[in-house]
Amino acid sequence: MKHRLIFFFAVVFGVFARATEPTDILVQGAEKLEIAEILTALGPKPERIEIGPFSFWRGKIGAQRVVVSLTGQSLINCTVATVIGIEEFSPRLIVNQGTSGAQVPYLALHDVIIGARALDYGNFASPPRGAGEGTRPLLWTPVPQRLRSPVSGELVAHPDGFRGDAEAIAVALRTRNGMGRVFTGTLGSAHEINLELDRVRWSAKTFGMEVEEMESGHVAAIAHAYGVRYVAFRVVSDAPYEGVPFFPLAARATALFTVNFLHNFPALPAPAKP
Amino acid sequence: MIRLILLALLALAGAPLQAAPTDLLLVAPDDATLAPVLKKLADARSESRAAWTYWFGQLHGKSVVLTRTEGDPLNAVAATTLAVRRHQPKLIVVFGTARAHDPALRAHDVVVSEKFVAFDGLVSPPTRLGGGSDSLTWKKLPHLLMTAGEREAAAPFFPASATALAVARTLSPERGRVIIGALGSANQVNREADRIAWLHAQWGTSCEDGESAHVAGVGKLLDTPVIGFRVIDGAPEEAAKFALKFVEAWK
Repeated sequence: MKHRLIFFFAVVFGVFARATEPTDILVQGAEKLEIAEILTALGPKPERIEIGPFSFWRGKIGAQRVVVSLTGQSLINCTVATVIGIEEFSPRLIVNQGTSGAQVPYLALHDVIIGARALDYGNFASPPRGAGEGTRPLLWTPVPQRLRSPVSGELVAHPDGFRGDAEAIAVALRTRNGMGRVFTGTLGSAHEINLELDRVRWSAKTFGMEVEEMESGHVAAIAHAYGVRYVAFRVVSDAPYEGVPFFPLAARATALFTVNFLHNFPALPAPAKP
Repeated sequence: MIRLILLALLALAGAPLQAAPTDLLLVAPDDATLAPVLKKLADARSESRAAWTYWFGQLHGKSVVLTRTEGDPLNAVAATTLAVRRHQPKLIVVFGTARAHDPALRAHDVVVSEKFVAFDGLVSPPTRLGGGSDSLTWKKLPHLLMTAGEREAAAPFFPASATALAVARTLSPERGRVIIGALGSANQVNREADRIAWLHAQWGTSCEDGESAHVAGVGKLLDTPVIGFRVIDGAPEEAAKFALKFVEAWK
């Protein structure tokens, strides 16, 4: 009984501490290289919090009380990490950042795309074809992500994905990328690496995508479901039109851009009391 | 007095706190699949959080939570994560209907998971403009799952609970056979025969649905066992009836 009581106290006070220390911004990266510069900006010994297999680090960057989250790549990891991040830290803004493949020829290594919107481009229904008739990916019909509205109770399709937070985009457009250019654009997410230029061009035309990556559209959907403000940044780390293969160190550019953004972003107002 | 203080702290801490452990988390794609189960639920109540709904109650003397995935990976992963974190089920049961990849399967067969495969990952070969797109030349890209110590591990498939599988294989569907196999999922409806054959050969999938393997991925991440059932080209009610038989048989 004594042990149970001690365990109960530990759980209560552990969770209580997590929930009552306010977090302004949850900053996410899928890979260690994508968060390394941001962890450095937190200072020499940021508090590390482990929840399940996921790691979070808490500290301050500029005026912002920040939690950095290593999500792991793609839908399963980033969705679980985002749900946990929102539930445990109640952030008022999520910044999802990392690397990406260019889907349009004008982008070059180290350019940063600010997500005006982000979507899942990997879902489809294919028309019937018989055995021996092959496959025609450019004829597949996209299936938009749907979310149930808590107001109407209806499933709502989001064919254009989810818009980035307008204030965060405006601040990001005034933020320096020391290693390349800065554009706004559409980020597409799926567990895919597309190097067929005809399909790359089809995705750019069909969805308006500037880059492809594996998380931002999924995180955007979860943020939308919770009503949490959201923005994403992606650096170009590979460019199939130019034959530029994946350059993992490009992650440094988007992380440094994110640190600059956090310094530029004005302190968030205190949340309204219920 | 201490209890009162603790309760006050619990109330202040709010949402992240976990409720008492639950026997089973039942995960289904839509209302049609959930309805026959909800009809049997004793002491039923429900609650919603963000875009997801949970129903609680008793089935055959076991405490259960039900949730709806909307038939896609994102909603399935989010709904399952919340349920596992808040209700700590002993087992996740994901069920519904599916389309066959294995040509030996027949309508109304129930595929019980020996394993799960999220087959949505691909790498296409570098091809110039005008070179077209051919999914039969793509390579598999298995999911990586985060593990403690900030490392991701490749997961070409996700495991199913062996003890739950042993229970499920003793059950008799109303129509069709019980087939042990690999439940594949992706947010895809594949109707090209050559691609279906390619998926079956490359990924080893028995069938495809919208979410079962992604739910199993959450189970693997959050250390919770999973079992899955899929009725081939069946009605949602068939899947629900098989799930109810499993709940009754499961100890």
